[in-house]
Amino acid sequence: MNCRDWEERIALYVGGDLAASEAAEVERHVADCAGCQVFASGLKQSLELLREAHQEPLAAAHFAAVRARVLAELAGERRAWWRRAWVYGLAAAAAVALLVAFAVRPGHAPQPRRPEIMGQAGRPTPPEPKVQVAEAAAQPKPVHRRPQGRTGSRQAAPPVLGARVEPVMVKLETDDPDVVIYWIAEIRGDAK
Amino acid sequence: MKALAFLATVGPMDGDRSSAIAAAQAGDLAAFELLMRQHERMVLVTALRLLGNLEDAQDASQEVFLRLYRNLRKVESASNVAGWLYRVTVNICHDLRRRRPRPVALDEIAEPAAAGPDPQRSATEAERRSVLELSLRMLSEKERAALVLRDLEGLSTEEVARALGSSEATVRSQVSKARVKVREFVERYFRRHV
Repeated sequence: MNCRDWEERIALYVGGDLAASEAAEVERHVADCAGCQVFASGLKQSLELLREAHQEPLAAAHFAAVRARVLAELAGERRAWWRRAWVYGLAAAAAVALLVAFAVRPGHAPQPRRPEIMGQAGRPTPPEPKVQVAEAAAQPKPVHRRPQGRTGSRQAAPPVLGARVEPVMVKLETDDPDVVIYWIAEIRGDAK
Repeated sequence: MKALAFLATVGPMDGDRSSAIAAAQAGDLAAFELLMRQHERMVLVTALRLLGNLEDAQDASQEVFLRLYRNLRKVESASNVAGWLYRVTVNICHDLRRRRPRPVALDEIAEPAAAGPDPQRSATEAERRSVLELSLRMLSEKERAALVLRDLEGLSTEEVARALGSSEATVRSQVSKARVKVREFVERYFRRHV
């Protein structure tokens, strides 16, 4: 085997990176090979030199500078966090205060508009003919019921005897000027 | 006050390191500072070996510790803080090298703690530092990281593999190639300078 082939194993051997069996093999070769002895010795010396240089202490100021920079950055982050928390907290409190103030302000609470009665729709109903109450009571008319086919459909209540029905138009104005609701209703009451 | 009391009770033991982590997780900056002090040499020196200049190494260390603070919940125990820090240091140095590729002059090599009273000895130490920096510069990025963690920081091959995210076989191959290259460089250097 060429000594070049031993280089990698000798390099691992000097660093203690070989298993016992491999290390013994390398030791046997190095004992018999002058060139590899020089090579191994050079490896050990150079590693020793590097380790010694690596162990030299650095000036304490170099470490202190890093520490100071890290702590300053962390303290700055904390200050920024608290500042943000204050701003967001104050903004939220102000928003809540505004909402409360607006809600309790007299006359400013959002209320539905009262419907405005525009007047009677169509022509006034002619006076109802007198109802023969006594006769009606004596001879009850047969009740005409509508077929109950559909469920849920509203049925108009039968006119109350003796009541006056007046159609009225109710105008509901919304906040949106383009939306006006007209509602035609009937006012029921006793004919007087 | 709480932080001062904590600092007074915490020592370098592992249990205390766990306490430091727990206190830092709760937002105690003094406890986090203690945690930094316990690991700062490891992080800064590793970054210095990987990057080759002090300024970048300090930037990398700063980023490592900020990341540690933001990921304290992931670092569950004191025993895996070191492993986590090595992995993050290697990654951050890798990113920094990509962002700031620049050759480093020898005079940028960090000064030791204090110049010794013996000028002969100081000169030897300065030369040794130069050899270390220059020989690391001869290596590829992966060989360099493997050699720094295995031979200079003394991690096991398994730990190096975990930090670098590669297999142990790959690490062994990188380490052996790096050792051979360093030996060649050191021999050439002393042949030229002595």
